[in-house]
Amino acid sequence: MRVATDVGGTFTDLVCVEETGIRIAKSDTTPPNFEQGVLKVVDKADIELPAIEDFVHGTTVVINALLSRRGAKTGLITTRGFRDVLEIARGNRPDLFNLAFDKPAPFVPRYLRQEITERLDYLGRVIEAPKLEELALIIDGFKADGVEAVAIALLHSYVNPDHELAVERRVRELWPDVSIISSHAICGEWREYERTSTVVLSAYVHPIAKGYLASLDDQMGARGLSSKPLIMRSNGGVATVDGARNDPISMVESGPASGMLGAAALGRQIGEPNLIALDIGGTTAKTALIEDAAVKITTNYKIEWDRANPGYPIRTPVVDLVEIGNGGGSIAWVDDGGRLHVGPQSAGALPGPAAYGRGGTNITTTDANLMLGRINPALFLGGLQKPNWDNVNAAFAALEKELGESKDDIARGIIRIANANMINALKLVSLNKGYDPRDFALIAFGGGGAMHAVALAEELMTPKVIIPVNSSVFSAWGMLMCDLRRDFLKTDVKLFSPETAGAVETAFKDLEDHARTVSLKEGMPEDKLRMERFADMRYAGQEHTVKVALPCKAFDAQTIGQFADEFHRAHKREYTFELDAPIELVNVHIVVFADIDKKPLPERTVTGRTVDETHKGARIIDFDEAGIHEAHEYDLGGLEPGMLITGPAVIEDATTTLVISPGKRAEMDAYGNIHFEMVG
Amino acid sequence: MSTSPASITNAHDPITIEIIQSALTAITDEMFATMCKTAMSSIIYEVLDFGVALFNARGELASSGSGIPGFIGMLQPGVQAIISKFSGAGEINDGDIFLLNIPHKGGVSHINDVVLIMPVFSAGHIIGWLSNKAHWVDLGGAFPGGISPDATEIYQEGLQLPGIKAIDSGKLNQAVLDIILSNSRVPETTEGDFWAGVASMRAGQKRFLSLAEKYGEDAVRFAIEDYIELGEKIARQAMADLPKGVFHAQETLEDDLTINAVITITDDKFLVDLRNNPKQSATSSLNASHDSTFVDCMMIFKAITSPETFGNAGSFRPIEMLVDTGSMFAAEYPTAVGVYYEASMLMFDLLWKALAPAMPERLTAGHYASICGTFMGGPHPETGHNHGIVEPQLGGWGASQDSDGVNALYTGFHGDTFNVPVEITEQRNGLMVDRLCLNDAPGGEGEFIGGKGITLDYRIMTEKWWLTMAYVRSEVGPWGLKGGLEGTTNYVEVVRADGETTRYSACTAVPLGQDDVVKVYTATGGGYGDPKDRSQEKVWEDIKNGYVSPERAKQIYGLSD
Repeated sequence: MRVATDVGGTFTDLVCVEETGIRIAKSDTTPPNFEQGVLKVVDKADIELPAIEDFVHGTTVVINALLSRRGAKTGLITTRGFRDVLEIARGNRPDLFNLAFDKPAPFVPRYLRQEITERLDYLGRVIEAPKLEELALIIDGFKADGVEAVAIALLHSYVNPDHELAVERRVRELWPDVSIISSHAICGEWREYERTSTVVLSAYVHPIAKGYLASLDDQMGARGLSSKPLIMRSNGGVATVDGARNDPISMVESGPASGMLGAAALGRQIGEPNLIALDIGGTTAKTALIEDAAVKITTNYKIEWDRANPGYPIRTPVVDLVEIGNGGGSIAWVDDGGRLHVGPQSAGALPGPAAYGRGGTNITTTDANLMLGRINPALFLGGLQKPNWDNVNAAFAALEKELGESKDDIARGIIRIANANMINALKLVSLNKGYDPRDFALIAFGGGGAMHAVALAEELMTPKVIIPVNSSVFSAWGMLMCDLRRDFLKTDVKLFSPETAGAVETAFKDLEDHARTVSLKEGMPEDKLRMERFADMRYAGQEHTVKVALPCKAFDAQTIGQFADEFHRAHKREYTFELDAPIELVNVHIVVFADIDKKPLPERTVTGRTVDETHKGARIIDFDEAGIHEAHEYDLGGLEPGMLITGPAVIEDATTTLVISPGKRAEMDAYGNIHFEMVG
Repeated sequence: MSTSPASITNAHDPITIEIIQSALTAITDEMFATMCKTAMSSIIYEVLDFGVALFNARGELASSGSGIPGFIGMLQPGVQAIISKFSGAGEINDGDIFLLNIPHKGGVSHINDVVLIMPVFSAGHIIGWLSNKAHWVDLGGAFPGGISPDATEIYQEGLQLPGIKAIDSGKLNQAVLDIILSNSRVPETTEGDFWAGVASMRAGQKRFLSLAEKYGEDAVRFAIEDYIELGEKIARQAMADLPKGVFHAQETLEDDLTINAVITITDDKFLVDLRNNPKQSATSSLNASHDSTFVDCMMIFKAITSPETFGNAGSFRPIEMLVDTGSMFAAEYPTAVGVYYEASMLMFDLLWKALAPAMPERLTAGHYASICGTFMGGPHPETGHNHGIVEPQLGGWGASQDSDGVNALYTGFHGDTFNVPVEITEQRNGLMVDRLCLNDAPGGEGEFIGGKGITLDYRIMTEKWWLTMAYVRSEVGPWGLKGGLEGTTNYVEVVRADGETTRYSACTAVPLGQDDVVKVYTATGGGYGDPKDRSQEKVWEDIKNGYVSPERAKQIYGLSD
């Protein structure tokens, strides 16, 4: 039996895959002791821990500690002359017209940013060796000030980590029980502010993450879990507990990453390798492009970043996704110019949409879907509660007054704007990167995925929509489809040419050796280890790079020409042109995998039931441009492979609603996924 | 106030119109991202010294994307200059791209800011325009990098591009590109930046056309006009909340240069009178064109009316400006305007100073108010290849009525502009940076303290380097408000290998050799409120963080022991 638990903002989801099929369960998330919610959902699903072969876990503990500023008091040790780099940041003011701008405060105040005399040049040559004797005073000061975690970030450590290692060793001798992280160990890229920010935020969450992982491990062990838990990472892979503990920041986006990974895995199984994946939750929607059944990874990630705020960079590998403030709970509002908007403010779980009747006075996307008949009032909130119509009407009345339009028109407008916001996000990952959506299928999951998917696909012109089985807990299932994965990135700027092929090969080999050593130390099984090569490359003179996957084949004067062609093609696809200019390698990127035995989706049982037997009734649904129609209602749980349903219709259960517009056809495949053919 | 053409009716549903309007933003965002990711020079890809914009068929700004808000107002005069120059039938064709950089004739800023302009055709007629303006590192001229405070005529500042077709119906005019490249000291970079600009416009064109295809030209045209009118509506609504009256400011800066501004705010007008100002300089390039001075008015107006929303042609309609032709704020051709940005900054800061006391929730005390443009170049010690850097510097911002000023931020003229990382500048340019830290020089104290500028020390690693720079606010620091103290000043010190030290506020091509150190100091912003009102708790925190010395704290804040 393989089990995944996914701690989300509102619910903790569980998926269990065994020979006999799949079981799912949901329980409340229990901050700040998230492991309690995990144990509860395990009990709820009635799972015997000793029977579990793999237990995979995704957690929001890291992102929560960051966003709520509940991390450890952190001290920073950096190169003499540069303690203010963390506060200076990059000096940008994205809120362009605002002359009363406030810059985000650094996570470490100046008095806890200490300098050590040492210097490397950009080639990693020693200009001045570290004066380790300066550390005693610094550490005494940190202790007196109540520091709980130490971050070390020295200039050019991405080329040569010796100075950071020497400082780290000395700090450990002076203060054996403090949490310490050095920048080179978690970020091998240049740009001192970004690397310093990454290590500072890592140190900030380190004690909490360590404590959480230890507690989870202990409690699960005490209840008889025989294998060590595997921890979901933002890079779309899982880590051993040791691996996650050494690089806690790599868990920062674990939930969204697993959904995308799950989509890629499902695509592989059902022969749909090219997908645009869309995960619509309560607060946000996330989308990513999957090509050849693989997700793309980026290290250009920031927290608390938006159009007005520079945020805080974290250079950790994260699945390349776009997240927008547009989910079921997104609030509709009217601006000073009398325009209707949706999101990014969310009503969350409390007070929630107006229809929850928990004090919410704002209309949300969920309320609009309810108003248009798309959500079945009888199945509202899993059928546990009736919508509070008085509340909905009162909240709509405010908008009617401001806009001078009818409730139905406003509800339609809200859905159209929410869809337009999502379309823009979907375009960002596809069209804007040179991919034609017509070459992809749209796969939609999360609480709201199924409801919006068909309308979005029509606009985006994807020929097909797929709603996976168990789509509301799909991210948790995705975790069970992940392999162990660890990314190693190192800035190593070199010309990429036949003359330099030897040096390029050495750069890759050296990083592979290092990657192997670290991965084995963290408990990745040697017999299952495999590696993939990527390179971040650019035309000499440019700054930004394009990531290119390279075959694991040695570079020599001949092969390097073929690899260069890969780059030219990628550059042209992304930016419309290629140049006859020298190419530079900027970052060497090695991905280490250890394959895990995964169970594919089991086939769904066929009993010979007819479509009519799953028909529950009919209700009036507003399909916007396609008109208002009486739509047949079908029970999702009763549907069987091969069954075909033509819109206007709705397929639903307690957690999922599929809205099928008139003339569109939905068919269930052998595994229980629903496919819509959009063409014809 | 312009009216919509008669052919455009109001028969479009408001949601569709809003969706098209968000797509306009998405188009300029994409143009911006393409430019940033493909450009060859750090002034574009890192400092983001460029802007992109989309216009209606008459060349009125509808949507823009920029690292630098000042650029948003600079593109419209360029597009309109092309429309009037090529007014004959068949003179503008699908696929044309024009180049323009003469500041007095629609180019607005200085020679180095090259404007690319492209019409967007649908079904044989123009439905809109796209434009892109970026700082090109070198277009020739008397000085490396083109810019020098000592230039006296535009002919010394580089190659002039008077609104010419670089691409004619989609086909490159190789002769034009050849002329440009042979006039540049860095032809490879220049060619890369040219193509980055073209790629960005073509990306925008593709999206613009798909929008017209999907919603129909009529709806798109209507949405653009409606968007511009929405800009005006927002601006006029915000004006209702502004204090009305006459606001003036005067400032005497280095070389006894006295400048004046009088702003009159009425119910429907924002009138800026700049008629009492010095003549254009015949001995330096500290002059601004009429259009770039107008941008100063736009920037301050936007900041006090609706900083949180988009800006387009409508947003600025209430502004009127009076200025004498031939003054330093409306310099005549062929006067040199290379360091126009410092002249513009002086005026922007003066308008800010005039209004700040009346609008404390929108405007802080004075900030360091100089672009601090620093130009250096010379051979890379490892490769011998010539390198040049063009960098504005970070500085301190003024305190406000309820918070301390921001440390180390780009000027109010900049926006989403990034400094160049030390690790990158050392690798790329072969300099060493000895330190980058906040400038702790005393100044800018108050109940709320001015944000700190920076200290940035560049060590030159080989012979034959040079330095050009011109900083304003080098003698008089940023102004305080309500009893807050004046901030510190912007300047450079060159410390020679033998220890000899020279201080500069402006210089041209000063030779530098190995182990000379160029020390950049930027100002701390002005304070707000009487320092005696700063809480003792905060003062102790300042001391703990090294922002103020204990001695200074006693003297200024009256800190008890």
